Amino acid sequence: MNPAIGAVAVGVLVGAVIAVSVRDGRIAVVGLLTMLVFSPIVTDPIGTPLALAARLAGGVLAAYLLWIAVRGGGMTSGSRIGWPAEALLALGAFVVGLGTHGLGATALGPVEAQAAGFALAALCVVPVATGRDVLRIGIGLFVLLQAALLVRVGLDGNPSELEQLVTAGLIAALGGSVAALAYAARSDGPGGFDLASEPRPRLRRPQDARRDAPRPAEAALITDR
Amino acid sequence: MSLLPFLIVSIISTGAALGLRGRPALATLVGLAGLVVTLLAALAIRPGERLVIGGAAVATTEFMRLFLVLCSTCGIGLALLGAAAGTRRDAPAVMLGTLATAGLALSLPDARVAVLAATAGGLIGVLVTLTPGAARVGATVGIREVRAVIIAGSLALAAAAWIQRPLDDLVVQPQVFGLAYLAFAIAIAVRFGVIPFHFWAARLADAAPEVTIPVVTAWGPAALAVVGLAWIDQLVAPILPEVGPERAVLIGVGIATIVLATFAAWIQDDLEHVLGYSIMGDAGVIVLGLAALGTEAWTPVRVWILAFVVARSAFAAWCAAMRATFWTGRLDDLQGWARHSPPLVVALVLVIIGSIGLPGFAAWDARVSIVNQLFGGPLTVLMLLALLGPIAYYARLLMIGVRRPLGGTAAEHWRPRWPAVDLTRARTSAETVVRVNRGASTALLALLLAALAVGTSAGLFGVPEAAAGVAPGLQGESQIEPPSP
Repeated sequence: MNPAIGAVAVGVLVGAVIAVSVRDGRIAVVGLLTMLVFSPIVTDPIGTPLALAARLAGGVLAAYLLWIAVRGGGMTSGSRIGWPAEALLALGAFVVGLGTHGLGATALGPVEAQAAGFALAALCVVPVATGRDVLRIGIGLFVLLQAALLVRVGLDGNPSELEQLVTAGLIAALGGSVAALAYAARSDGPGGFDLASEPRPRLRRPQDARRDAPRPAEAALITDR
Repeated sequence: MSLLPFLIVSIISTGAALGLRGRPALATLVGLAGLVVTLLAALAIRPGERLVIGGAAVATTEFMRLFLVLCSTCGIGLALLGAAAGTRRDAPAVMLGTLATAGLALSLPDARVAVLAATAGGLIGVLVTLTPGAARVGATVGIREVRAVIIAGSLALAAAAWIQRPLDDLVVQPQVFGLAYLAFAIAIAVRFGVIPFHFWAARLADAAPEVTIPVVTAWGPAALAVVGLAWIDQLVAPILPEVGPERAVLIGVGIATIVLATFAAWIQDDLEHVLGYSIMGDAGVIVLGLAALGTEAWTPVRVWILAFVVARSAFAAWCAAMRATFWTGRLDDLQGWARHSPPLVVALVLVIIGSIGLPGFAAWDARVSIVNQLFGGPLTVLMLLALLGPIAYYARLLMIGVRRPLGGTAAEHWRPRWPAVDLTRARTSAETVVRVNRGASTALLALLLAALAVGTSAGLFGVPEAAAGVAPGLQGESQIEPPSP
């Protein structure tokens, strides 16, 4: 185990634990940014400058887009069991990842990457499965995607530059999607980032086709963005 | 490389259309122009080219070219219909983004990269759920879609990474390959929203306009399915011809989806949900195709994927034309629609032929081939009957159409009309011509897409030849021949 890579992996975990634990949306985004910035460095050898730059740019862009959605304030539900329990959960999964490196065959990547991937996978289960607001589910999805990417590095070694470029685009696209949805939820009356309550009557679809072409509601929305 | 212009045009057009979304008319115009240029760029793709970019290979195939050409054509029709029906402004941008990522995914021989590209395409589709006036409901629908896309992408990436390295010292080979295969196939099932992973896809029809539903639930997932099929064919099938429990799971998912989604489509009370469940039901055939390991499944599944994306787009076009003509998608309010608009009857009949097919059609033969590879004896007959189930909901739509119309109608006329044109007010006159011909123009577009669906289903445009081609990166090499199961 490489101590330097191990330290970076711990940084990834710290960021992820903060992101899934806190209730303040802005702090959660900062935690997410930490995770996204450290993740591409959990490789051995470290990626090419172009690949690293692409990943960092993708991560920062995603975090910035999320920041736009949360900077006006807004709370997410956060962890119900608190950050120490989340950290312990991550630690346990980290150890499992260390012990199962390669998943049955010789791995081509660093053990720390797979361990961090396992830890993130454990952390993301609750937000993704039981999240009740857009931001928390979105953060959970970021953690899940990062877990898969780290496990991939742990098993197969360094991705190619093109793969890193596509990964950066995917992370930025995820940031944009979650930010757009979070912004939309927050701008729809009180309730912050909460999901629409269920059970609810089925949404009556707005008439896409109507004689009065301009629709005031949509026009108002356009000026907001 | 001829693929690069396609990628550049589609990506730039997506960005431009999204950047201009504050000005809906301009964004729609840019999106439509982008789709036309994208179609031309897709037509200019030359199969058999290979290029290494950033350490990874990118290769073009005839199948990829045909997929992009057909989807671009459908996209132009759907975007025009959306514009005529007043659909939300992001539809062309979402189509362009989905085409760009599908083009990239289909050109990448490395499944790990292709999965990432296909997943990014799914995220662009979330924009269509942002409903004006019901943002929270739209966001709820949208985040569930994002959840399905990311779960599917992560599952597929982990599966691809697990067995895409030298595995000489792997102790439990059958189990590992079986689990990886199942994980990738389940990822594809989640992306399609097939039963039991259908919750998000069913709710999508609550918020998304009908012209965008096939883009989100058929085009993007179909690209992932093609990637998954190539991965299974190259890595799983040659090494592991028998994966019993895993195949049983997939067959169960496929059968449940075909039967239950057809029933669900039959009982819906609006066109959008009928469309959503019909896509789900047809995607069940693709899941069955993934269960049929072996080279015999390669061509039929890819033929069906091409027929599926075009036929579902044509059905979406018909639904949009219905809404544009009758100002509603509720089936209760559409009584007598067939008496009012004969072109839409013809379009629906063509959609039925395109989606179910006729004996001798490429799509029909593909489905029969998939079923024959999986089942034997009376079960084959039962499955083939189940595949005819969509006739039930199509027949219901036609029966509603021939009923006596409800009193009073605001429906648009289906015949073209030419009001007096005032040349001193050209813009106003043009808008008037467009407005009074809304019914005629949308019916014509639906007819054209339905005819395209029939042609694709029949095997025109070189569908069987393209589907039989090798995966990207295998040109010039012999395709891996797996041992027969």
